[in-house]
Amino acid sequence: MSESLDTKITANPLIVLREEFDDWALLFNPDTGNTFALNPMGVFIWKILEQGELSSAITRKVCESTQDAPPDAEKQVEDFVLEIVRLGLARKEGERDS
Amino acid sequence: MTLSLMKIPRSVDIEITNGCNLRCTYCSHFSAAGDVDRDLPTEEWRRFFAELGRHGVMNVTLSGGEPFYRQDLQDIVASIVENRMRFAILSNGTLIEPEMASFLAATGRCDSVQVSIDGAIDITHDSFRGEGNFVKAVNGIRTLQRSGVPVTVRVTIHRKNVRELDSIASLLLDGIGLSSFSTNAASYMGLCRKNTELTQLTAEERSLAMETMLELVEKYPGRISATAGPLAEALMWAEMKEASRLKNPRMEERGFLTGCGGPFSNMAVRADGAFVPCSQLGHIVLGQINRDDLLDIWQNHPLLWQFRNRRLIPLSSFEFCRDCPYADYCTGNCPALAYNLTGEINHPSPDACLRLFEQQGGRLPERLLHPTPVT
Repeated sequence: MSESLDTKITANPLIVLREEFDDWALLFNPDTGNTFALNPMGVFIWKILEQGELSSAITRKVCESTQDAPPDAEKQVEDFVLEIVRLGLARKEGERDS
Repeated sequence: MTLSLMKIPRSVDIEITNGCNLRCTYCSHFSAAGDVDRDLPTEEWRRFFAELGRHGVMNVTLSGGEPFYRQDLQDIVASIVENRMRFAILSNGTLIEPEMASFLAATGRCDSVQVSIDGAIDITHDSFRGEGNFVKAVNGIRTLQRSGVPVTVRVTIHRKNVRELDSIASLLLDGIGLSSFSTNAASYMGLCRKNTELTQLTAEERSLAMETMLELVEKYPGRISATAGPLAEALMWAEMKEASRLKNPRMEERGFLTGCGGPFSNMAVRADGAFVPCSQLGHIVLGQINRDDLLDIWQNHPLLWQFRNRRLIPLSSFEFCRDCPYADYCTGNCPALAYNLTGEINHPSPDACLRLFEQQGGRLPERLLHPTPVT
């Protein structure tokens, strides 16, 4: 796993989650006006991030929540979370191993 | 035929005050259905913005009356910002002070302040808005620009400025240096209903406005827009006329009362805190802020669903549309105008009727009907 293994990642509290009827959602950054669409799994991950969680735990929770996780699920989750961080929608904090 | 409904409105239009320092001849308020005589205190709005923020509403548009007429506007805007939303303000531009402009800029959340300018010179603008207000409005725009607030202009086309549109465009885009502006037309709402002869375009003037606006769109590409009024009508009606000439099948989302998608993504609140489906339909009260739950009204209120379901009513069911060659390509347009003109919301708006326009002698611009071939 990547260097993000033991990094706690927390959703940026400024970002608004707008859930829609179809279980998709929008993340809205009021400072920029930008919106980002989340599919239901993205929403699931976002709600974990709202509590703050180690990236390894995020992956574990996602895999536990689905019955037929694809072989590259771990990589997909990691990539998704890193993208969320890159976009400024979540922040890394308290890295235990540096 | 169905638009997907958002779980909660994306944006909410709020008439933050019924007060205004002007009485413009064609204002859509003051003698409109749903006019109210009281404003809510700041604290009521704060509570409401907290609810909007909790639900994930993204944008609030403040109108009035005149929003800058409220002494507590900074507190109101601060509450919008605290609750993770962005905002826009619709204004006559005459009360904008540097301190306020700086405050709005500092929030970083202002999408735009839209100022009304209806003339290239004071005589034209002030003829319907009151003496001295052209200079004040232009100063208001410049004050906003100096502070870095995004500013837009809405030009309401009427009988006294219809021959001045090119000068207005030049003033706004070349002189003041706006990136863009939008247009509409004096419409049969509010005070305009009492002053229709003075303000509303005849078919001939409407034709002239269409021609001029299309020339200006070519001269200033991408900088002039319209969702109503002569420019928008010219583009839509030309499309309808061509479809009719070719006897095309019914166009998607046409042939029914589909002219307004607002109730699927937007809601409005009157100055007294009453929920209404649209600021122009202030007589349809759906509830009261801080007493009734926004989510419940949005998702379940029968009047709101009736309003949404007007999209299922075919134009062919109206005597007004009988034998109309354009019915399969028409949306029936604005329900608020339909209500003001016919007393019915579930009716096509006669103001936006291409057949009626032609019967009254109106002509669409030749350049739309016979575009110059590209060589």
